[in-house]
Amino acid sequence: MIAALEGPPIGWFDLSPLLVLLGAALVMLVVGALLPRWPRGLYAAFTATAAGATMVLAMVLWDDVSDQGARYLVGDAVTLDGFSMFATIAIAATVLLACLVTDDYLRREQLDGPEVYALYLTAGIGGIVMAMANDLVVLFLGLEVLSLSFYVLAASHRRRSAGQESAIKYFVLGGFASAFFLYGAALVYGGTGSVRYDEIVAAVNTTLLVERKDALVLAGVALLIVGLAFKVSAVPFHFWAPDVYQGAPTPVTAFMASAGKIGAFAAMLRVLTEALPQWRDDWRPVVWTIAVATLAVGSILAVVQTNVKRMLAYSSISHAGFILVGVEAAGHTAGEADPSGGVAASMLYLLLYAVLVMGTFAVVSLVGRTGDDQTDLDGFRGLGRTRPALALGMTVLLLAQAGVPLTSGFVAKFGVISAAVDQRSYAIAIVAMLASVIAAFLYLRIMVSMWIVDAEAGDDAREAVRTPLSTSLAVVLSVGFTLVVGFAPGWIVSAAEHATTIATAVAP
Amino acid sequence: MLVLVLLHAVVAAVVLSATRLRGTVAAALGIAVFAATAVTAALQGIGSDVPATQSWDWVPDLGLQLTTRLDGFAVVMVLLVSVIGAIVLAYSASYFEPGPTRVRFTGLFIAFAGAMTGLVAAADLFTMFVFWELTSVCSFLLIGLNDRSASARNAALRALLVTGAGGLCLLAAVILLQVAVGTTDLAELGSRSPAGAMVTTAAVLALTGAFTKSAQFPFHFWLPGAMAAPTPVSAYLHSATMVKAGIVLMARLAPVFGDLAVWRWLVVVCGGTTMVLGGLRAMRQTDAKLLLAHSTVSQLGFLTILVGLGIPGATYAGVAHLVAHAVFKAGLFLGVGAIDHATGTRDIRRFSGLGREMPQLAVMMGLAAASMAGVIPLLGFATKEKALVALLDADAGAATVVALVAVIGGSVLSTAYSMRLMRGLFATDHRVIDPEHVHHAPGGWLVVPVGLFTVASLLGGLLADAVGGWLQAPARSLDGVEHSSLHLWPGLNLALGISLAIVAVGAVIGWRVPDEVAASPVRVSGEQIFQRLFDGLLTGSKRITVVTQSGSLLAYLAVVMAIVAGVLVAAIVTDPLAGFDELTWSDGWMQLVVAAFAVVFAAAVIAVRERFVAALLIGGVGFACAVLFALYGAPDLALTQILVETLTIVVFLLVLRQMPRGFDAPPAWAPRVVRVVISAGVGITVAAFAVMVSAARTAPSVGETYAELSLPEAGGKNIVNVILVDFRGFDTLGEITVLGTAALGVTNLVRMARRRRRTASDAATAAAVAEAELS
Repeated sequence: MIAALEGPPIGWFDLSPLLVLLGAALVMLVVGALLPRWPRGLYAAFTATAAGATMVLAMVLWDDVSDQGARYLVGDAVTLDGFSMFATIAIAATVLLACLVTDDYLRREQLDGPEVYALYLTAGIGGIVMAMANDLVVLFLGLEVLSLSFYVLAASHRRRSAGQESAIKYFVLGGFASAFFLYGAALVYGGTGSVRYDEIVAAVNTTLLVERKDALVLAGVALLIVGLAFKVSAVPFHFWAPDVYQGAPTPVTAFMASAGKIGAFAAMLRVLTEALPQWRDDWRPVVWTIAVATLAVGSILAVVQTNVKRMLAYSSISHAGFILVGVEAAGHTAGEADPSGGVAASMLYLLLYAVLVMGTFAVVSLVGRTGDDQTDLDGFRGLGRTRPALALGMTVLLLAQAGVPLTSGFVAKFGVISAAVDQRSYAIAIVAMLASVIAAFLYLRIMVSMWIVDAEAGDDAREAVRTPLSTSLAVVLSVGFTLVVGFAPGWIVSAAEHATTIATAVAP
Repeated sequence: MLVLVLLHAVVAAVVLSATRLRGTVAAALGIAVFAATAVTAALQGIGSDVPATQSWDWVPDLGLQLTTRLDGFAVVMVLLVSVIGAIVLAYSASYFEPGPTRVRFTGLFIAFAGAMTGLVAAADLFTMFVFWELTSVCSFLLIGLNDRSASARNAALRALLVTGAGGLCLLAAVILLQVAVGTTDLAELGSRSPAGAMVTTAAVLALTGAFTKSAQFPFHFWLPGAMAAPTPVSAYLHSATMVKAGIVLMARLAPVFGDLAVWRWLVVVCGGTTMVLGGLRAMRQTDAKLLLAHSTVSQLGFLTILVGLGIPGATYAGVAHLVAHAVFKAGLFLGVGAIDHATGTRDIRRFSGLGREMPQLAVMMGLAAASMAGVIPLLGFATKEKALVALLDADAGAATVVALVAVIGGSVLSTAYSMRLMRGLFATDHRVIDPEHVHHAPGGWLVVPVGLFTVASLLGGLLADAVGGWLQAPARSLDGVEHSSLHLWPGLNLALGISLAIVAVGAVIGWRVPDEVAASPVRVSGEQIFQRLFDGLLTGSKRITVVTQSGSLLAYLAVVMAIVAGVLVAAIVTDPLAGFDELTWSDGWMQLVVAAFAVVFAAAVIAVRERFVAALLIGGVGFACAVLFALYGAPDLALTQILVETLTIVVFLLVLRQMPRGFDAPPAWAPRVVRVVISAGVGITVAAFAVMVSAARTAPSVGETYAELSLPEAGGKNIVNVILVDFRGFDTLGEITVLGTAALGVTNLVRMARRRRRTASDAATAAAVAEAELS
C-alpha cells in the first residue's frame, strides 16, 4: 500500500520573485542557445525586464508580509519577510543596472550573447536564496549558485588572459571557502542537532544547556564566518578581491561588488542574528576584529594603487568593513525582541553602496575603452575636459563613496556609525571614521586625475571615451539615486527599518 | 536661509551646466543671488527679537535635520559672506580671461558661497558639519579646477585633507554630544550647560576641527600653501570667509565650553602661538600675497583668542575684529591682485616707485594696511583697542595673561609687516635694479572693489560708535551679555598707551627690517609632521601591498588555511572534546598494514617530482581505503571506491597527456620552514579535529533507525539499497537527473569540438586545393 506522498506546501506566488528570475535564466539559456543571435540589445532588455518584474513582485510581497506577517515557505526552508524582500529588491536592482552596463560593453568587445545575462540571473537567484534561507544547507545552495556564476562570469571575456587567471584564483580560493562553510554547517549540526535557524535557537534550550558541546558549535560558527567573510571579501579573506576585480570584465566586477555583497551580507546577518544569537558574545568579538582589520587594510592599501579597478576593489573591502560595523552593532542585541538599528543600517548600506558601485564601475567600463584595459589612473586623465558630464557624474559617485554629506554615501555611513555608537561601540566607530578619512584620499586621487592633471602628449591620440545610451542611462540612474537619497533620505531609511522589523519578528 | 542656500545651489548648477553661458551673465546671476541673500538676511534678522528659524527634516528616522537660525551673529556673518562675495565676484569678472574657466569658476564660487551661508547660519552642530564638509569640497574644486601648477594642486589637496579630517573631528563631536547631552542645537547646548568626560572629549574634538579650518597651530601650514590659488579665491576663501568657519564654530561654542580649563588653555596656547608665529613668518615673505597669507594666519590666531576665551568683552571685540579683518584683508588681497595683474609680479623686492605710478591704489591699500596695523582712526584700531581693554579687564587667571602677551607681541608684528608690505610695494627704493613697472593699468573693476573695502575700513573707524552699536546684537546673540561699545576715541587709558606703543615699535621694526631676512625659507614643524605622515602612509601602504598582495595563490591559501587551523585549535582549547580516549586504534594487523601503505603513498606524493607518478600514488591511497572498507565488511562500498579511484586515475592520465611531465619547482612565497610548518600544522589540525568531532557524537546515528525500519517498512534486506531507492529515493532521482544533464552537456561539447575540427580541416583542404589549382 503506497500512501500518497505529501510534499511540503510551496507557496508559489510567495516565491514568484525567484521564479521569474529562474524562468528568465532558462529562457535565456535554452532559447538563446537555439535561436541565432537576438537583435541588438534584446538580451539585455529581456534580462532587465525580468529584473524589473522581480522588483515589482518583491514590493507586492513586501506589502503582503507587512499585512499578513512573515512566514516560512517550502517546508520551512526559506523565510518570506521584509528583510528578504529588501534584499531581493536590491539584488534585482543590481541585475537591472548590470544589464544596462553590460549591453554596451559586450557589443564594444564583440562578445554579445546570452551567457553573461543568464549568469547574472542565476547569480541573482543565488543571492536571493542566500538572503531568504532559513536553513544552512539552503544557504549553502544559494552560496554555490552565486559563486559558480561568479567564477564563470569572471572569465567571461574570452580574450583577456587577466580575466582567466583571476577566475582560476577565485575558483580555487572560493572552493576552499565553500568547503569551510560546509564544514562549519556540519559542526553546527553536530552541536545542535539541526541546520534550521529556528530549530538551532530552540535546540539550545533543550539539549545544549544539558550537555554543552560548545567546541563543535564554536568551531562551526567560526568556519561559517570564514566562508561568508570570504564572500564579502573581509580581511583576512580578501586576497582574491583585488586580483579578481581587476581581472574580471568591468561590468562583471560591478555586479560582483554589488550583488555578491548583498547576498553574502544578508546571509551573514541572518545566520548570526537569527540562528546564532545565543553565541553572540562569542562571535561579536570576531566580527569586531574582522571589521577593524577590514577597514584598516581596505583603506590604507587602496591609497597606493594606480589601477582604478584595483583601487575600487580595496575601497569595496573598506566598505565591507563599514557594513561589518553595522553587523557588530546588530550583535549587541541579536535575538532580543527589540533589535538594534544595526541590521537596518547594514541593509541600507548594502543597497546604497550597490547602486553607487554600479554607477562607478559603469563609468570605469566606459573609460576602459575597447579592450577594457585603460583603467589606470592615466586613463582618466583629462576626462573633465573631454567628457565633462561623465566626469561630473563620476565625481558625485566618488564623493558619495567618500561619504560626503548630501549624498547617499553619507546616509549609509552615518547609519552604521550611529548604530555602533548607540551600542556604545565607540572604538569601532572611531576606526571607521579614521578609515573613511584615509579612503577619501583615494577617491580624491581619481578626481584629481579627471579634473586636474595636465594633459600629456599623445592624449589626443587615445581612443575617445564614448558614452553609449544604455551605460549612460545606468550612470544617470545611479547618480540620480545617489543625490535623491542624499537630499531626501527619510523614505529609504524608514523603508529599511520597516523591512528589518518584519524580519526579526519571525525569529522565535 | 535654507531656501536661499538652495537658491545658491540651483544657480550654481545652472551656471555649471550651461557651458555656453557668458561670463558676465554668470557673474551677474551670482551677484543677484548674493544681493538677495544679503537683503533677506538684513530684513529678517536686523531688529527682530526672535531669530528667524528654518528647519528641514532630512532623515527623520535618524533624527537628522538641517536647521538655520538667523540670530544677530548669523546676520553679520551672512552679510559678510554675501556682500564680500558680490564684490569679489565683480572683481573676478575682469581678473580672469573670458572663457569657460571663468564660467566654471563663477558656478563653483556661488556654490561655495551657498555652503558658507548655510554654515554661518547653522542652528545646530550637525547642520554646521554638513555645510562644513561642503565648503571643503567646493574650495578644493575651486582651486583644483582652475589652477594648472602642480604646487597649487598639492596645496589644495593638503588643505582638503587637513580641513576634511577636521570636519570628521567635528562629526565625532556631534555624535558624542548627541549621545551625552541629547542635542547638538547650539542654543540648547548653552542652556543645558553639559559636563562630563564625554562632553570634554567632544569639546576638544570640536576645537580641533575649528583649528584645522581656521589654520591654527599646529594645523596652520595649509593656509599659506593654499594661497597659490587665484587671488579672488584667496581673498574670499582664505581670508574673508572659509577660514572664518572655525572662528564661527568657536564663537558658538565658547559660551558653552569656555570654562573648561582644557578648552581655555588650548585656545590661548594655540591661538597665541599662531598669532606670533604667523607674524614672524609674514616678516620673512617677499611675495606680497604670501605675506598677506601669513598675516591672515596671525590674525586668525588673534580672533581665536578673542572669541575662543568666552569672556564677554573679548567675544564682543572678536566679533568686531572679525568684521574689521574681513574688510581690510579682502581689500589688501584684491589690491595685490590688481598690482600682480598690472606688473606681472608680486615680489616686493622688485618694486620701486610704484606709489607714483598707481597713486590711488597706493592710498587705498595704505589705508587698509593701516587698519590692519591698528592705526587711528580706522576700524582696525577701534577693534584692537577693544580687545586690549577686554583682556586687561578679564580675570580668568593665568590664561588671560598669556593671551595678553601673545596679543601684544602679535600686534607689534602685524604693524611691522603692514609697514613692510607698504614700503616694499610702493616706496621708492634705489637699490632695486630694473624695477617692475605697470605694463597695463588695471581696469576700473579691479580698483573699485579695493576702494569699497578701504572706504568701509575708514568709515567703520570714523563711525566706530555707531558700528559698535550695530555689533551689540550679534555679540549678545552669542553670550547673552550686554557689552560696552566700540569707540573711535576711547579716552586716555592703559589700553590706548599699549596701542600707541605697539604701533610705534611695529612701525620701526617694519621699516628697518632688511629684505634679506626673507631669504631663509623655514619649514614648519606641523607641515613636516603632516608630510611625514603622508609619505609614511604611502610608503607603508606600498610595502604592505607588496607583502600581502603578492598575487601568489599559494600564499593566499596558506593564510586562509592557517586561520582555519587556528580557529579549530581555539575551539578545542576553549572546550576540550572527548579526545582520543575512546578511540580504537585497530581491529587487527591487516588493517595496520594497509593503513601503513596508505601513509607511505601519501608521503611519497610530496616527494615525487613527476605528475604521472603522483597521480598514481594518490590513486594508491584511495585503493588502500577501499581495502579498509572491505576489511570492515562493506564490500559494496569498497567496490564503489575502487571504481571511483580507477575512473579518477584514467581522467588524470587523460589530462596529464597535455601537461609537462614534471612539476615546476614549488613557488617560494615564503621561507621553506614557514611553508612546512603551515602545511603540516593545517593537515594535522584538521585531521585531529575530524577524529575528535566524530568521537563527540552523543545522539544515535540515523543509520540505526534505517536498519530497524529497513525490513518492516521497505521490505528490503540490503540496507544500502533501501536507503538509495527508498528512504532517500528523491535524492537519488535528483542525482540521476543532474548526472544525465551533465552527460548531455558533455556530449554536446564533444560534438561541437569535433564539428569545429572538421570545418577547420575542410577549410584547410579547400585552401590547399585552391593553391594547387592556381599553381
